[in-house]
Amino acid sequence: SSNEHKLNFKKSKEACLSYIQDALLQKQWKRAAEFLTCYVESLEKDYSREHIGPSEMIWRLGTEILWHHSQNSMKEFNCFMEQMKTLGVKRYLKVCLEHVFHLLCNGQIDEAYQNLSLAESWRFGEQTALQDKEMKLIQAYRGLLDYYSWSKQKNILLEQGEDGFSDLAVEQEMHSYFRKAAVNLKEIIKIPGVWDIFVKCYVDLLEFYGDHNEARQVLNEYAYNSRFPANPNAHVYLYQFLKRQGESKKSLISALKILHDIVPSHELMIDFNTMLQKSKKRKKRRLGLEVIFAALDYAGWKENAKAWSCLARQVKQIVISEKHLDWIKQEWNSRKDWWPAFHFSRYLAKRNWQENKSLSYEKALVAGILLGKGCKYFKYVSHQGCKAQLKRFRMLKKFVNRHNPVHLRISG
Amino acid sequence: MEFPAALFPSYFGAGPPQEEGSPAPVAGWGEHGQVLEGGAGRRQVQPAFVPRRGATGDKWEAAEAAAVPMLLPSAGCWIPSPAPQDILYHSGLCRKLRPGKSGATLDFARQLGHFFVDHPEDAFGSLGRLLHKNFYLGNSKLKRPARNSTIRMTALVEDIDRLEARRGCPRQHLASRLRWFSHLCRDWLFEVPLGLLADCLHEELMQQWSNLLFDDSLTGGALAWLPSEDGGTPVGCLVHPGGQAMNHLYFQDVMLEELPRTRGSPAQFELSGRVQQVASARVDGQDFVGVRSDYHCGVWRVPAKRRAVPTPLQVIRTDVPASCLTVSPHLPGELSVCTQSGTVYLWSVETGLQQLRDDPQTMFFRDHSPWRWSDFTAHPRVLSCADRTGLQCLDARAPRRCHFDLFKVGEEAGCQQGERVVLPMYLGRAHPSQYLVTTQFSVYVLDERLPLVPVLRWAHMMKAPPLFAHLIPGKPGRSHNVLLGTSRTQELLLLQYRDSFWGVSSGGSQSACQLAGTPQKLHSIAGCLQHLPTQLPHRHHLLEQRLTAPAAGLAATLQEDGPHKSMLIFQLSEAGDVFCQRLTHKAAHPPAPASRDEATTAPGSSPLFEAPASSPQGLGTAALRYRRWLRALSRTCREPPRHTWPPSLSQRRLFTRRDLEGPAGPSSLQRQMRQRLRQTMEEGGRIQHWEPLVLQPPPLPQTLEPVGGPDPLSARLTAAWAGDWEQWWEERTRFSVAQRQRALRERRRRQKRAQGRRSLSASFTSSLTYQSELSELSDTGPPLVSPGRPPILSQESSPPAGSPPVRSPATSAPPDEALLSSQSLRCRGIPKERRKTLRDYLSVWAEGPPEPPEPPGSQASQLCIPSSQSQLSSASQPRRKRPRMGF
Repeated sequence: SSNEHKLNFKKSKEACLSYIQDALLQKQWKRAAEFLTCYVESLEKDYSREHIGPSEMIWRLGTEILWHHSQNSMKEFNCFMEQMKTLGVKRYLKVCLEHVFHLLCNGQIDEAYQNLSLAESWRFGEQTALQDKEMKLIQAYRGLLDYYSWSKQKNILLEQGEDGFSDLAVEQEMHSYFRKAAVNLKEIIKIPGVWDIFVKCYVDLLEFYGDHNEARQVLNEYAYNSRFPANPNAHVYLYQFLKRQGESKKSLISALKILHDIVPSHELMIDFNTMLQKSKKRKKRRLGLEVIFAALDYAGWKENAKAWSCLARQVKQIVISEKHLDWIKQEWNSRKDWWPAFHFSRYLAKRNWQENKSLSYEKALVAGILLGKGCKYFKYVSHQGCKAQLKRFRMLKKFVNRHNPVHLRISG
Repeated sequence: MEFPAALFPSYFGAGPPQEEGSPAPVAGWGEHGQVLEGGAGRRQVQPAFVPRRGATGDKWEAAEAAAVPMLLPSAGCWIPSPAPQDILYHSGLCRKLRPGKSGATLDFARQLGHFFVDHPEDAFGSLGRLLHKNFYLGNSKLKRPARNSTIRMTALVEDIDRLEARRGCPRQHLASRLRWFSHLCRDWLFEVPLGLLADCLHEELMQQWSNLLFDDSLTGGALAWLPSEDGGTPVGCLVHPGGQAMNHLYFQDVMLEELPRTRGSPAQFELSGRVQQVASARVDGQDFVGVRSDYHCGVWRVPAKRRAVPTPLQVIRTDVPASCLTVSPHLPGELSVCTQSGTVYLWSVETGLQQLRDDPQTMFFRDHSPWRWSDFTAHPRVLSCADRTGLQCLDARAPRRCHFDLFKVGEEAGCQQGERVVLPMYLGRAHPSQYLVTTQFSVYVLDERLPLVPVLRWAHMMKAPPLFAHLIPGKPGRSHNVLLGTSRTQELLLLQYRDSFWGVSSGGSQSACQLAGTPQKLHSIAGCLQHLPTQLPHRHHLLEQRLTAPAAGLAATLQEDGPHKSMLIFQLSEAGDVFCQRLTHKAAHPPAPASRDEATTAPGSSPLFEAPASSPQGLGTAALRYRRWLRALSRTCREPPRHTWPPSLSQRRLFTRRDLEGPAGPSSLQRQMRQRLRQTMEEGGRIQHWEPLVLQPPPLPQTLEPVGGPDPLSARLTAAWAGDWEQWWEERTRFSVAQRQRALRERRRRQKRAQGRRSLSASFTSSLTYQSELSELSDTGPPLVSPGRPPILSQESSPPAGSPPVRSPATSAPPDEALLSSQSLRCRGIPKERRKTLRDYLSVWAEGPPEPPEPPGSQASQLCIPSSQSQLSSASQPRRKRPRMGF
């Protein structure tokens, strides 16, 4: 009966699919290709109502095989992709997008651009939400490629400018690229998402044409709109923009303060700390101490010599001036139960000494002040340092010995 | 670690997932996802792009054709966990009536019955003792004085048996007697009130069934590898559970040679529960091993020195089963524990337990699963907490105030509907702020600096949710390897990802995370089955059962030996077996010719057992390892428990007694051989040197056999043992058809001549001669049709030419048959109602032993049951086709 026939067909289709899957997972591209030629038959009698139809399956499997097959050529790949585009109307834009990605990764920028333009003009019935998103991405990528063309023209012009003459045609072309790029890039960055690369390019365009207000607005929106994810890069771009604009320290600090609040372990925290340390205001210096302590809480900063030297410098300053010891005390309070094991164990003293002497110097200084001269880390490093006859370490020992009572006040 | 200067573009939405959820078998292929500018050189004319997925990765190649056993099977046989057929209701009819998808019906009644039979003391103890005198189980009639106070249970038992026999019959009615009895004593007979007992049992059954569908108690895996920091020979310590109840913890030293080899005997600890998870982390040169069983969690310390003795540090007990135990990679002696009631603790060996959260509700939306997980993050005081709906990070110093959402099943991460978190894992060894989250559909890499938006997402296409994951960090700038493992299907998948690449758009700093290379399937334990030498069927079954046991853990290590890099992967099964495989790193990308594995994967071939050219012994180490393992396995399972025996076959069904007896007066050699055969069969062994041709054919005056051949039984057995029974049968039928037909024709001629002299009122002796003829025929003819032999069944509609004429629907019945026709029986004065019985009886004679072992009535009633079934089922019953009976 036809029902049974359907069932059998379905079964053999599934078996074929599992063979292909198996071959792909074992990197047997040839075998997979052979099975796929059989699987194509499933297109003819498509009874399935599944989420991923056979046409999409064939597109996915075929693409994967052609990526890796030893005898593939770009021409064949393009041919396959064209066929796949006509096969599944629903996934047309997705297939186009993936085709473009492949062309881009293979350096065929012009072909990619053509494909993007073609895809952009495609219309079929009413667009679903997904297709809408894909269309926006296609436009955005076209904008990105326009931006690269613009930047190429700009470089030509700049080089010519150095030589002392300029080409009007090139300039015209550059401006037209700017318009095309700006329109598309502006569209995508309005939608919530992670658009680092598009935002950067758009801001670059705006800055070149001197539209700083628009650029600032775009970056502010990207960083502070709550519908967007908490992307640290948004704040970094804003900070970099402000820095380029030569904004006041105050606005730079406030931008970094927000970054500190969302990502205390960001690498810009060192810049932030130095900026704060230089400040004359007590409150800011105190914030600086907080920032560097917080950064060193993270496992990724454990062996960051720069951060340790920042902390050591500030702690040393405070100890010498004997003012604001309570700052250290307060910071230390929430860390004294785990920093000794996390940063100042004997094992780490040995390893730091072997791997990075200057790191162990800075850490030993901090350990000596925070935990006193009896601390394992300090004892080991200063002992090794003195044994190696290094002057720095002898000074360090003296310094810590002199200020030993401090640790009692800190931990008390 | 720097944050990537540019991330791959992606949309960000909020709310429940939009995409329809279904396991898509190919969803992970053929997609770059997104691209980002990031070529190698800055001075390029054109921008260079890198894809999110599809970058080239390292090439790993399996060194062996299958995973190889690491340890010898432990003494004492393994008890397999329940299979679906153990707790599901099985009835062909039931399946037919309900062809829908919800075909799983729990066999509640059978389990309750098992309980009553297995634990009668607990079920009816006190009343059973009280009523002991009033119940009588004998067959004889009760005497007068006793009858007043005693009831005979035999009839009731018979009723129950009958009920059992009629199971699945649509017109099944409860016997009134049974109903009456149960109505009478339901309320007082049971020790535990029946309703309560049934509720408990049902709950347990549901639990078992859901465990069969998905058992999350094994999440994380119960296998750990502790590398040793010694120079010289690479060694390590494998921490694994073992023993019959998996309640022993072993610390086994292992040397990494061509195949890892155990060294010395393991340090062993007996625990008070089944080990569900073994987690480990190295802090300050010491390994901390956390072990979770349902109600206890323990922590051991193992110094990284060679031959260091593991020291147990502390044990905690929980009221609710613990679902997670992870060890801090930052601080020595710190762990995190979750229980199924939704409590999360930070456990420090020095300061004890600190409760971080206590919330039986799930975090982002309602989900029924009590599973909870917790792990560490880049900040030693911040822990992640997970349930099926997502992950949250809590600061242990102020858990109520300071927390943020790291991952949510929803549109934020682009999840599908119905997607649930299966296993989160902190990837600290590769990148301090990255996290792995697996769901049943996809795997995500998250960066805690950019919460909610996965930096990587890929549909893994595995057949079961990945319960185990293992990270093998690569050197900076190289790709990291992640192994994913499933439990029931034993799948193993190797993924590679790069946490950063050198980007141009970012001004020469680190750029986003990308997936490298293609995913690679690794050998599963069961995969070796096809390479093993052929086994006897029941051995094969046992072996299959053992090797396909669900996986219970995963561990791996990287071994670098100068320029050679290889990866060793250990997989633990629920049976306690640890199998190991090696992947070797192929440095460059040579143009791949038809690679070795492509050529050797044809089923049936076993490169494992082929002699490699390099090995002078003839067999590879892997094959030797297998030999030893198989031998040890057969030794430990020599006395398997009763229920693992394969169903036994009654030999009476295969051979008639006459068959077994053979011709009168067997020779001494024959007797000897037969004895040997019997003995071997009893031992379940195999006869290696069987020389049937030596046997002299016994003198058989009336045999229809060609003189000179071996007796049919020996030949048949020989053929059967040799495995070409079917060929023997083919030859035999073809060979003997002509002869037998000739012989029969001869005999019929004789009988025709004799008939004239015989009167109709001849006694039964004639039918007895007929009987002996029949048994002679069955001697030489095909063995009786048994339902277990489909080839014969399929020939049923058109009987083979070789089948004896008496059994074929021939129109000319032999004269003797006339004796059995209704007419002749009536002539002999046999009443009508007994004629059928007699006919059945005689037909049984034709098949059964010559002496009636049982009263013919019972035999006949036994035959009745299949006949009633044959009307229901479409399968025809060959025994019914007896045209010679005259109707």
